[in-house]
Amino acid sequence: MTTTAPNFAEPADAVAAVVAEHAGQTDADAAFPVRALDEMRATGLLGLLVPAEHGGLGGSVADVLAVSTRLGREDMSAAMIFAMHCQQVAAVVRHAGDRLRGELLPAIAQGKLYLASVTTEAGKGGHLLTARAELRDDDGELVVDRFAPIVTGGAHADGFLVTMLGPNATSPNQVSLVYAAREQLEVTASGEWQPLGMRASHSGALRLRGRVPGHQVVGEHGGFHDIVTRTFGPLAHLGWSACWLGTASGALSRVLGVLRDPSARGSLDLGSELLLTRLARVRRRLAVVHALLWRTEAVVAGADDLSRPRVRLLLNELKTTAAEECHAAVDELVEAVGLRHGYLRGSPTGLERALRDLRSAALNYSNDRLYLADGRLALLDPEVRFA
Amino acid sequence: MDERFTALLTRFLPARGDRELTHDTPLRDLGLDSMQSIELLFAIEDEFGVSLPDDDLTDTTFATAGNLWRAVSAATETQVGAA
Repeated sequence: MTTTAPNFAEPADAVAAVVAEHAGQTDADAAFPVRALDEMRATGLLGLLVPAEHGGLGGSVADVLAVSTRLGREDMSAAMIFAMHCQQVAAVVRHAGDRLRGELLPAIAQGKLYLASVTTEAGKGGHLLTARAELRDDDGELVVDRFAPIVTGGAHADGFLVTMLGPNATSPNQVSLVYAAREQLEVTASGEWQPLGMRASHSGALRLRGRVPGHQVVGEHGGFHDIVTRTFGPLAHLGWSACWLGTASGALSRVLGVLRDPSARGSLDLGSELLLTRLARVRRRLAVVHALLWRTEAVVAGADDLSRPRVRLLLNELKTTAAEECHAAVDELVEAVGLRHGYLRGSPTGLERALRDLRSAALNYSNDRLYLADGRLALLDPEVRFA
Repeated sequence: MDERFTALLTRFLPARGDRELTHDTPLRDLGLDSMQSIELLFAIEDEFGVSLPDDDLTDTTFATAGNLWRAVSAATETQVGAA
């Protein structure tokens, strides 16, 4: 088991350097990290998951996680933008038809196609697996008309993967995933993006209207459930958790840097038992998330059926654990170092931004909803077996 | 599929309308969601006196009426045989 990807450490470091340079400003302005995205395009990392025969880097899910953690150390918004793009790419690689793959994958590999996800919808309470707006089949073309309250990077995406109720659906569970290029759509942004954290993710509301050829459906009509089970769900929970682990690890690393700074030697009491105990607890939280992340990655890579209750449970438990522990770790670091280094925006520890960003983790596909699902899944496994 | 099974299954398919249940009937399209799958499972266990092993509780098992019936039949055979 490794958590570094030697093959991609160089491009990841290059992007991380650009991310680090601009993260303060994009956070302050609640602006999308355009320069970081440019670097992801230039380094080929946008095509990390694109197979080599389509010109991509041919990386694995493990590589996505390693790069996401690396970027997360500098800025959670930029890391999430990368991880969620990779989730979309995985859906295209695994579920799109040959024609659509042939159209999209080389462009992604060349850094020309940053993909955003359009799964949120007003009035469905955050349910991923249902949709309200219906895709209309008009003589072989698909008519898209859709409002989404939250689309990360929507204003900068070159294309969108959009969930809608499949044509002629008889139940709200028959959701289709369809690709639409920006130029195939009339895209209208609405509202203002002024959140507590994740400010550079620029996840504002969008209205999408347009027509796309029939072959741009990803997977079968009404088949989004299967894409979620096999690809979207696992990649989301693994990818997000990797970003959050990176953000909390970066925060701890910078705190340790301040504590060990030779110029501060003597002014800080490194023998303080309270400080040492807090550092130990933070480190333990991150070790648990790290172990769970890589265990889950291995289970997903080796599982023949990801819909088994104990595999679903593991994936959900990774997400809820990472969300809570990474946030708690940074919160505890704030306690450990106090007002100056824990609470002020200008501190080199960057705890203030990390804490605001990580506050979103439990809300981003709500932990409350996942606990309900996990309670039901627990009932299905009275023997209590683990994946 | 026996009548007891289809009658029970029908209660969990709000979007069935007047369509007939066959082996290939896609259950999700007729409105079976994950929460209802669990209630359906418990109802099957009560009605048939069997419990489905968690290994069988996959998307494939709940995909069609026929798949679910096969799982119930298999569990009935092994568990009745073992009793």
